[in-house]
Amino acid sequence: MPEWLLKDESYIPESDKDTFINKSILSLLGLLARIRTQGCDKTDKYFVHAALKVAFTFLLILLLSISRNFTFIVISMVYLLVILSLMRGKEILHILKVSSAMALFTFIVLLPSAFWGNGYSIVTITSKVLATIIAVNILSHSAKWNSITSALKVFHVPDIFIFVLDITIKYIAMLGEFSLYMLYALKLRSVGKNHNKYAALSGIAGTLFIKSKEMAEEMHAAMECRGFTGEYSVHNRFKFTAADFIYILINAGLLTIFVYLERI
Amino acid sequence: MHIPDNYLSPATCAVIGAAMVPVWAAAVKKVKEEIPREKMPLLGVGASFSFLMMMFNVPLPGGTTGHAVGGTLLAILMGPYAACISVTVALLIQALLFGDGGILAFGANCFNMAFILPFLGYGIYKFMKDRVQSERGEYTGIVLGSYFGINIAALAAAIEFGIQPLLFTNAAGQPLYCPYPLSVSIPAMTIPHLLVAGIVEVIFTVTIVGFIKKVSPGTIYQGAKQKTKAIYGLLLALICLTPLGLLASGTAWGEWGADEIHEVVSGSTPLGYTPEGMRHGFSFGAVMPDYSINGLPEAAGYILSAVAGVAIMIILFKIISALKKNTSGKITG
Repeated sequence: MPEWLLKDESYIPESDKDTFINKSILSLLGLLARIRTQGCDKTDKYFVHAALKVAFTFLLILLLSISRNFTFIVISMVYLLVILSLMRGKEILHILKVSSAMALFTFIVLLPSAFWGNGYSIVTITSKVLATIIAVNILSHSAKWNSITSALKVFHVPDIFIFVLDITIKYIAMLGEFSLYMLYALKLRSVGKNHNKYAALSGIAGTLFIKSKEMAEEMHAAMECRGFTGEYSVHNRFKFTAADFIYILINAGLLTIFVYLERI
Repeated sequence: MHIPDNYLSPATCAVIGAAMVPVWAAAVKKVKEEIPREKMPLLGVGASFSFLMMMFNVPLPGGTTGHAVGGTLLAILMGPYAACISVTVALLIQALLFGDGGILAFGANCFNMAFILPFLGYGIYKFMKDRVQSERGEYTGIVLGSYFGINIAALAAAIEFGIQPLLFTNAAGQPLYCPYPLSVSIPAMTIPHLLVAGIVEVIFTVTIVGFIKKVSPGTIYQGAKQKTKAIYGLLLALICLTPLGLLASGTAWGEWGADEIHEVVSGSTPLGYTPEGMRHGFSFGAVMPDYSINGLPEAAGYILSAVAGVAIMIILFKIISALKKNTSGKITG
């Protein structure tokens, strides 16, 4: 046994601020968790066709934005809350967290204008933002993401966009995992003070770009082998269910209320 | 810079969205021409790359962190048209699936971040790169391109916010959407971008392009040589837009000038619910002490941001030339 191995050493690594690694890891983890919950156990319990959901969510957001009547905003809020109450607790919590954060941000941004004496914007815009974000999040939580992309085909969005969108969602998860491992490696390897933070970060992001380029080429080869021509066709025919009918009815009701209230 | 819904009027969103349609069409056409079939999946993977870029926190001096948009970076790596599509898709996913950025405001967000940002950033980069045939010229191009790209995009967002109270008010004269005029929205948007976000963007873009050039030099997009026409077209467009900004700010100026007379009357009624008080109460000096100088008209905020911008640029150039003097002994740029 060499002598230096037996000697006591007390190495205390210099403390270093590496919040940027931690923050990046956390935001990536949040993102991946959000995507993963998409894949599993999503039974479209209240089965309404995704195209309808997308169309009417868009309509509701438009109506909310045009509306000058506070009653309409309250009514749509109630409607959204009812839908929200039908969802699972975890989802409700997540939706409310995201949307109230955004509404709070809006409130703070608009606070100065309230001191200017513009009490109108702060109340209506904050509640409109809250309602809009709840609506979008309900859409994103209640429909599978691949059904939302297939819904876009119904609205004649060009194939190239759907194609890119589809790949993007999948690869966010794959590349996200990849960069997460690199961040872990960076965290484990930087003992003591890391003087090359920017170099480390650009290493990760640069490697990510090269990796994504390789992945893209591999994917194209795989797709070509399976005979993909770049065109999408929707296979499942549109079947009109009772849930669809009720959904349309409710939204038609909302539209009627909107027209009625705005006339006054 | 993601504009949520209800800050912009649906009419504004429709106009800007309509302006984006030919850009998208051109981008799709150009990408189909330019990028060989086997590279097509790169657009999607590029979009996920750009989405993830916004998740990366860049360390800033002083222990804080910030994240970059990476529009100029994508344009340099993949070409501006591919960057336009990639950023558009990343924004669509954020709006539709994550509730980040508005659905109606999608067109406006795309205009700022998928059109102005990559095209302007790339235009400046290419202009510098073609003029100055050296490593230094290219890096100057990257720095200027990414810095101006993100700042002009922020300015565009500020103008979109700022014209809302001029165009859309209800019968009582209260703004229906974003209530801040140009004199507030421009400094509020541009000062943080000039000081923080722009610098993050520059650090991010320069270090990553440097890394990729070192590790895998063949992968960077090589655009056509004659971009002069494009950059002059861009400049021309900007010059055409300038009077629009002045016109809009001029109206704001006049409006506020009239208000100042009323301010004396209504200044003492806090949160008065009469339309007069709502319209003319003015005390943002108390609320935003950072941006305002008490007793000066709001136009001061406007001028202040311009002065700040110029000062920051001068400081940056002085630092750069000082650093250069230390290393090479001569000043360039």
